[in-house]
Amino acid sequence: MNLRDRLGKEWLFCDGGTGSILQKMGLKGGELPETWNLTRPDDIKSLNRGYFEAGSNIVNTNTFGANRFKYDNVSEIVTAAVKICQEARKEADREDDAYVAIDVGPTGKLLEPMGDLPFNVAVDVFAEIIKAGYEAGGDVVVIETMSDSYEAKAAVVAAKEVCDLPIIVTMVYDETGKLLTGGGVEGTVAMLEGLKVDAIGINCGFGPVQMLPIAERLVKCCSLPIVVNPNAGLPRTENGATVYDVDPDDFANVMEQIAKLGVHVMGGCCGTTPDHIRTMINKVKVLPFTAPTAKDETYVTSFADCVKIGRKPVIIGERINPTGKKKLQQALRENNIDYILTEALKQEEAGAHILDVNVGLPEIDEPSMMESVIVKLQSVTNLPLQIDTTNIEALERGMRIYNGKPMINSVNGKNENIEAVMPLVAKYGGVLVSLPLDEDGIPETSDGRIAIAKKIYEAADRYGIPRKDIVIDGLAMTVSSDPNSAIATLDTVRRVRDEFSGHSILGVSNISFGLPARELVNSHFLTMAMQNGLSCAIINPCNGPMMASYRSYNALMNLDPNLSEFIDAYKDYVAGTSASSSGTKSSSAASSGAALTLGEAIERGVVGRATEAMREALASGKESLEIIDAELIPALDRVGKGFEAGTVFLPQLLMSADAAKAAFAVVKEAMADKPRTTKGQVILATVKGDIHDIGKNIVKVMLENYGYDVIDLGKDVPPEVIVDCAIENNIKVVGLSALMTTTVASMEETIKQLRERKPDTKVVVGGAVMTPEYSEQIGADAYAKDAMATVRYCDSVFEA
Amino acid sequence: MPLGVDIPVKEVQRYMGYHGLIEIGPDIQAKISKAVDMVSAQSHPRIVTKEYPVRVRDNEITIYNGTEEIVLCSEALARNLKGCCGAILLAATIGPACDMLVRRASVTSSAEAAIYQAAGAAAIEAFLDDRNAKLEKEYEAQGLFLRPRFSPGYGDLSLDHQKDWFRLLDISKQIGVELTDSLLMVPTKSVTALIGIGIDKSKAGCSGCSGCNKHDTCAYSKEDK
Repeated sequence: MNLRDRLGKEWLFCDGGTGSILQKMGLKGGELPETWNLTRPDDIKSLNRGYFEAGSNIVNTNTFGANRFKYDNVSEIVTAAVKICQEARKEADREDDAYVAIDVGPTGKLLEPMGDLPFNVAVDVFAEIIKAGYEAGGDVVVIETMSDSYEAKAAVVAAKEVCDLPIIVTMVYDETGKLLTGGGVEGTVAMLEGLKVDAIGINCGFGPVQMLPIAERLVKCCSLPIVVNPNAGLPRTENGATVYDVDPDDFANVMEQIAKLGVHVMGGCCGTTPDHIRTMINKVKVLPFTAPTAKDETYVTSFADCVKIGRKPVIIGERINPTGKKKLQQALRENNIDYILTEALKQEEAGAHILDVNVGLPEIDEPSMMESVIVKLQSVTNLPLQIDTTNIEALERGMRIYNGKPMINSVNGKNENIEAVMPLVAKYGGVLVSLPLDEDGIPETSDGRIAIAKKIYEAADRYGIPRKDIVIDGLAMTVSSDPNSAIATLDTVRRVRDEFSGHSILGVSNISFGLPARELVNSHFLTMAMQNGLSCAIINPCNGPMMASYRSYNALMNLDPNLSEFIDAYKDYVAGTSASSSGTKSSSAASSGAALTLGEAIERGVVGRATEAMREALASGKESLEIIDAELIPALDRVGKGFEAGTVFLPQLLMSADAAKAAFAVVKEAMADKPRTTKGQVILATVKGDIHDIGKNIVKVMLENYGYDVIDLGKDVPPEVIVDCAIENNIKVVGLSALMTTTVASMEETIKQLRERKPDTKVVVGGAVMTPEYSEQIGADAYAKDAMATVRYCDSVFEA
Repeated sequence: MPLGVDIPVKEVQRYMGYHGLIEIGPDIQAKISKAVDMVSAQSHPRIVTKEYPVRVRDNEITIYNGTEEIVLCSEALARNLKGCCGAILLAATIGPACDMLVRRASVTSSAEAAIYQAAGAAAIEAFLDDRNAKLEKEYEAQGLFLRPRFSPGYGDLSLDHQKDWFRLLDISKQIGVELTDSLLMVPTKSVTALIGIGIDKSKAGCSGCSGCNKHDTCAYSKEDK
């Protein structure tokens, strides 16, 4: 019988610990346990057999760490492990009711953007293990001891792409129910359910007692069979070796309590033995079994955050969408991701819960842009994202790389569109925005829209996408062209709630297209829509009246406990200013330094005033170059000289640089249509092995302020990447930074490769460990002791 | 779980390069205290420690873990551990949140990014100092004294030993810190270290700076020059 047909229908049991048993057999510290599959197969067989004989239904192969970072012969090691486990099962006479589990542990590396392992490489690493295990005859994939939901996702995607075996995923939480990377139980469950695994659970980390409260939380939120595999207590060190203290009887007693919570699969982890498992099985198998029940909460998640779609409406920030936004269009064309990140942080600050991400422009490579914007956004914000595109390739790449369970915008009622989008949602998981329009266009009445919504729900059923993950768009269309459109939209929203118990969404501001005073219409329409049951509002959260409607509605409808959100937003409210105030703390920046000149604002580092002063100067008719030469650069020079002399410290220098940067942005905006002049292009990089990039970033800001185009290759950059980039762009100057003694070697290597392949490029080096002597020794052209020195060196090269 | 110990503002300033009797303007003071509050509130500190028997001979330090011997070659560490027969290996982190704060700040302000970096560095040190002091008390009760903390990559102890620390302490699983190919830790505000255990009280305590061969020229030295 296939394991999938038994999971969640009867008690099933996993095996217990491996490491402690192998150590007793003589495994040395530092020795890789999986090598024993080839060198000591009989010992591994007796380990597996012990668990089959103890009654385990699911026994892991000895492949926990069998990945390419530790082994050259992954496939051989995994194949041997599966064969050994199969033989053990045969010898234990358990071929009828026990399963060989391809055991997959973490890679030991952190994924990008936090670490250095790209997501798609992680998928390859896992696919290699799982494919070998599947081809050797494994029955189930067990992905375990995962402390990062992103890595777990990579392993699940790999498993789904190489086989159709059942997938069990168990994570390690700490005592507060958090993953080491910050996610919580509910968000992780939502993501894994979206990925359609077969069972979800917890293992390792601590003993059964400490695991009890987390098992309780799992039971509350998880619709799938639940697995609990604790250690034999908390680890303790004895003469340098790790020991676990909980004996089989005590272990079994607590496991009995956990079983009664309503979990479905039980086993052990570090320190547990066949005795622990046998004793536990005897206690648990006689207890009544409760099948898992479907939970109806809808969650959209990021790696750390979990937003519930339900009675309280959710704000989705609409600002990352180039339609009608010239600056964003320009940023996308220039690959200026920082601009997009700034928009994201502003919306988060203003109170958005989820951010819509649309990067579609005809002249850019949308799939690549979607992928890189999502990764960058997830490196600066915890907010979940809504992937918004009509480009199916961009959608798939976005969903694949996304860390969490995203919202998807969107599918519609056209068969062709359903067939393109729904399989992706079935594979990767997501909450799907669904537009009730079809081959015949947008129905004018709510009857027509509800009929298409019904069709979409039925299609979701066919693809195995739960109805709770469908959000129907009420399709707001401007009232200026159809006087009934708001009524039809509000009816649709209400009927989605009443007739389907469903969730709804609106792009609210479409309602007022072509009208004056749009925010008046929009904010009232938003209130009406919420009153009719709207679940998600796509709006600009930086718009004061919109957020005022939202917060007031929540306050009035008992959706804001103690009215704390409302009071926090409006405690400094002054009557009569509501239309322009966003209700957040944003006005303090303008207050300081009101009368400073541009030069003074830059010297003192007052960003707001510097921007303003630059605008005033431009408005007064002065040429931008004149302002830069007469005011901006001299001010920067004064700060720079102070820094060199030791009278100005780093933070002031940086604040001045930030202010200058802001003033330059004003100039850039004003000159958007004119050709830009630059002194030249410079590459900056922190060399391989080093992640200290503050110094390099300072140099970047200063160089840009002094008129250079900087190609910033980031930190931990391999020599080849720097050399290739220098050749491709015919670069005159490369600036290298290193903070640690250990990374000077990779600086030297970079210089060597540059000399070989691009001998005319000059190299300037800097960083905490650098000295003029050192720099000469490794063959650099110049040593710069700080950012100003780098600027002066570049000037000397480019003006020569 | 917040940091649980105070982040000394003076240390944050030191990491930012301030030294001597310089006046720090109110704007920057305000930014520093905001950064200290944010880093403190969003930290999730974790630590793993294990005690091992060690032997020090010439410039070689041997650590036993029950089944294997790990040999460290370092003159500076051998000097630090002279007379010790045991050592505590440890790894600690304040978690990934500080790294995100730095990345967020660097989108809009390089000054704030530098301040968050400094606040994070001061936070992990403050957390470690606190735990270090608790360990000192525990050992003192047994008549044992702890030497100054010493880390891989410090002085002449090769950064390659990061791999030993990660294996011995199972750091990834225990506290969620991973090692990159270049032997750097993520989250970045993390520390691996070793603390010698000896019976000689006179060698205990004191700043680790004096044991470092760069302590004359280092911009971050804790001693005013």
